[in-house]
Amino acid sequence: MLKLLGTRLLQMILIMGIISLILFAIFDSEKFKKQIAVNELGGFAVSALSDQDYQVWLEKKGLNVPFYQRYLNWAGGVARGDFGKSFEKNEPVGSLLAARLLHTGLLAFWVFALMIPLSLTFGIIAGMKEGSAQDRLTSFVAVVTTSLPEIATAIILTVVFALGLHWLPPNAAMVNGWEWQALVLPVLTLVLYDFGYVARMTRASMAEVMHSQYIRTAVLKGLPYRRVILRHALRNALIAPFTIIVLQLNWLLSGVVVVEVFFQYAGFGKLLLDAALYGDIYVIQAATLVAVFVAVLSQIISDVGYTFLNPRIRFA
Amino acid sequence: MSEKLPPGFQHPVIQNAFGHLAAGRLDRREFIRIAALLGASAASAYALVGLPAPAYSEGQLPFPPDDPKAKPGGVLKVAMQVQKLEDPATFSWVQMSNQSRHTLEYVAITGPDNITRPMLAESWAASPDLKTWTFSIRKGVMWHTGEELTADHIAWNVMRWADPAVASSNVGLSVVAGLLEDTGKKDDKGKPIMGLSKGAVEVVDKYTLRLNMNRPVLSAPEDLYNYPTAILHPSFKPPLSENMIGTGPFALAEFNVGDKCILKRVTKTKDGKDFKYWGGTVYLDEIAYYNFDGDNQLSAFASGDVHTLYDFTVEQLDLAKSLPGVINASRTAQNICCRMQVDHAPFTDKRVRQAIVMSVDNAKVKNLVYGDDGDVGEDHHVAPVHPDYGPLPPLKRDVEGAKKLLKEAGFENGLQVTIDVGNTDGPWHQTACEAMRDQMKEAGIDLRVNVMPAAKYWEIWDKTPFGCTAWTHRPLGTMVMSLGYRTGVPWNESHYANPAFDKALDAAEATLDVAARKDKLAAAAKILQDDAVMVMPIWRPVYTIVAQNVNGYQGHPTEYHQFNKIWLS
Repeated sequence: MLKLLGTRLLQMILIMGIISLILFAIFDSEKFKKQIAVNELGGFAVSALSDQDYQVWLEKKGLNVPFYQRYLNWAGGVARGDFGKSFEKNEPVGSLLAARLLHTGLLAFWVFALMIPLSLTFGIIAGMKEGSAQDRLTSFVAVVTTSLPEIATAIILTVVFALGLHWLPPNAAMVNGWEWQALVLPVLTLVLYDFGYVARMTRASMAEVMHSQYIRTAVLKGLPYRRVILRHALRNALIAPFTIIVLQLNWLLSGVVVVEVFFQYAGFGKLLLDAALYGDIYVIQAATLVAVFVAVLSQIISDVGYTFLNPRIRFA
Repeated sequence: MSEKLPPGFQHPVIQNAFGHLAAGRLDRREFIRIAALLGASAASAYALVGLPAPAYSEGQLPFPPDDPKAKPGGVLKVAMQVQKLEDPATFSWVQMSNQSRHTLEYVAITGPDNITRPMLAESWAASPDLKTWTFSIRKGVMWHTGEELTADHIAWNVMRWADPAVASSNVGLSVVAGLLEDTGKKDDKGKPIMGLSKGAVEVVDKYTLRLNMNRPVLSAPEDLYNYPTAILHPSFKPPLSENMIGTGPFALAEFNVGDKCILKRVTKTKDGKDFKYWGGTVYLDEIAYYNFDGDNQLSAFASGDVHTLYDFTVEQLDLAKSLPGVINASRTAQNICCRMQVDHAPFTDKRVRQAIVMSVDNAKVKNLVYGDDGDVGEDHHVAPVHPDYGPLPPLKRDVEGAKKLLKEAGFENGLQVTIDVGNTDGPWHQTACEAMRDQMKEAGIDLRVNVMPAAKYWEIWDKTPFGCTAWTHRPLGTMVMSLGYRTGVPWNESHYANPAFDKALDAAEATLDVAARKDKLAAAAKILQDDAVMVMPIWRPVYTIVAQNVNGYQGHPTEYHQFNKIWLS
């Protein structure tokens, strides 16, 4: 197990190194430096700048330093816990990122807290008896919610519950301070989208297990149906959904851009979009490191979880 | 004529304008604007022409009068993009200036009635040739440091705008450009480096500043309310968000880009003494800007999170009408300019450009996008709302003519072109271009609409051969024509170069007779129109909405926020 963790950590550092180098190289291009200038001074002002004045501006921003030197300075800073300063927001990237991760973490928590029990319960009920009414209903709902893109779900929910019924606020900017109601629509949008996917996977896994020989044997032995499901079927049926659910961590981190931007929720996804549009290289770099970290972490959780769910799997 | 005019109206340009007014060649509002620009009292000008003056403070203050019913206190919440505050001289968006507008003030202030009044200046006077402008700086204006504002401070700001290292867009303003001369040096692109003329900025005494220009400038006070001309304390060092010392009634209390900008009333100076604001009573305790992207501002208003917003687009108008609030629609010179680069094939052929322009019915495009609101564009860059606008014969769509021209240009089998669209002011840009696409199809032109993110468009706005660029409102037609279409100027995105046009524009700018100036600018506009450089279908209105408990709100065509006399009930 320790060897597995060590290998994964080494892989993570290697991936972080390669990706950050590639990103730095891309953002070191003249095009991206110009993008920062346009965002900072405006398209009209940049076109009025002489080359000489543009060079002065680059120097002021520290963008005229050779690529390798900038990269080494940045990597040294990261090693010391300093992720640099955001061009757009004029703040240290570390504190900015921490605040946004906390917000997205909160969103993710509630999405998981609702989505996991819902999708597992309905997926299992549907998979227990293929072709039954509950199976057809669950499958239908799952296909509908997954087919609808997040932006469509977000619009429908906003029109109905915020602008129509006035039950909930239409955005999650929370300008008047923290209010749990503001989180309902973003959470619901994500839960609806993800529910269908996980429920369908759970249903398929459960249905496969229910067809297996050992379940048939258990049923024929006369074991109570409830015991067959809870003791024998469930554990094996959960292996596939478990992996899927853990992988949703990655999706929730970087795939929530649409929802966070739509609801104006100040989370990691919105930060990433703002940074990409601005060309805010240090924010993009730090966000990428976090994304790699979460991706590797989710793999580790998935691998370790496997060993508990399936005793046949052992890591040498 | 001069004996009919009261004291304060003796400037020859005012007398000339009054003559045109009497002869029916100038409308009354335009006369008031010119008289106020040349130092006459706006209230007297309104009275002189027999128009009811909008309510303004008695005395010398450029704000509406105190409201006896007003309740002091409260926080005005506004949905707007909260942007970076680096340096006012390089502000590139009006939103930035709104965030600092109640802290950093201006020499002059243009009201919602388009009349410019003295602000940090108490008054001004122009020489008969409009080359020398003398500003009397208001006495008793206190910086947040406790110091008094002087002419030296204003002079420091003007000289800073002229410094090429600051890279301020203010050098494009007539008031600053008139102070510059060719230094004889060239930059690396071979362009002449301009520097401040000797004696251009003259501090006469503690409260008097004189600007000595090398050409006549009528718009000096108007220019001094352009959003990047906010007056900074000479101790300023960027970023502004960490060093915002102003003369205004509010100071920055909390600021996070993309989150919020909180401004609180200043009661004490930096050294702990009582702060006395020169501008009279201010009712609000706090102005809070909360970051909402353009599309989300109306939903923030709908939820009651904010009292008002920066603006909303025409696509959201129906939703806005369903909400409890007062909608403000300001007539402006904001537009989209679908311009072609005249040195880039196939637009090098004037017949191709003419065919494109002739195939579009601007009125239909405007009506499709804005309905009855807004003004129809005329494929040049002077808007009906500009005071120096002169009408040209109406344009007619001519599909057969366009086909004929295309055939002559060698495109008898049709022409395919792509227009880059950034939707920088909202999705209506795309809607307008798609309407143009459908109209052009009839003439055998296949217009591809290439939509890209707004930030990306600003990277290529002056490089793309065919692009849809949004130009903001500027108070004068000559100003925007000079910025965008003179040979070789930095913002000449169409690469248009026509000595006849430059000459016609020079003639318009050098004409002090306001009626003759209109005719001359119309002549320049006609040259630009005939050269078919752009399709300019729409002069758009700007919409905003205000909650019913907000009192004293007035929309501004340039979307400048002026909240000194707003109060909440």
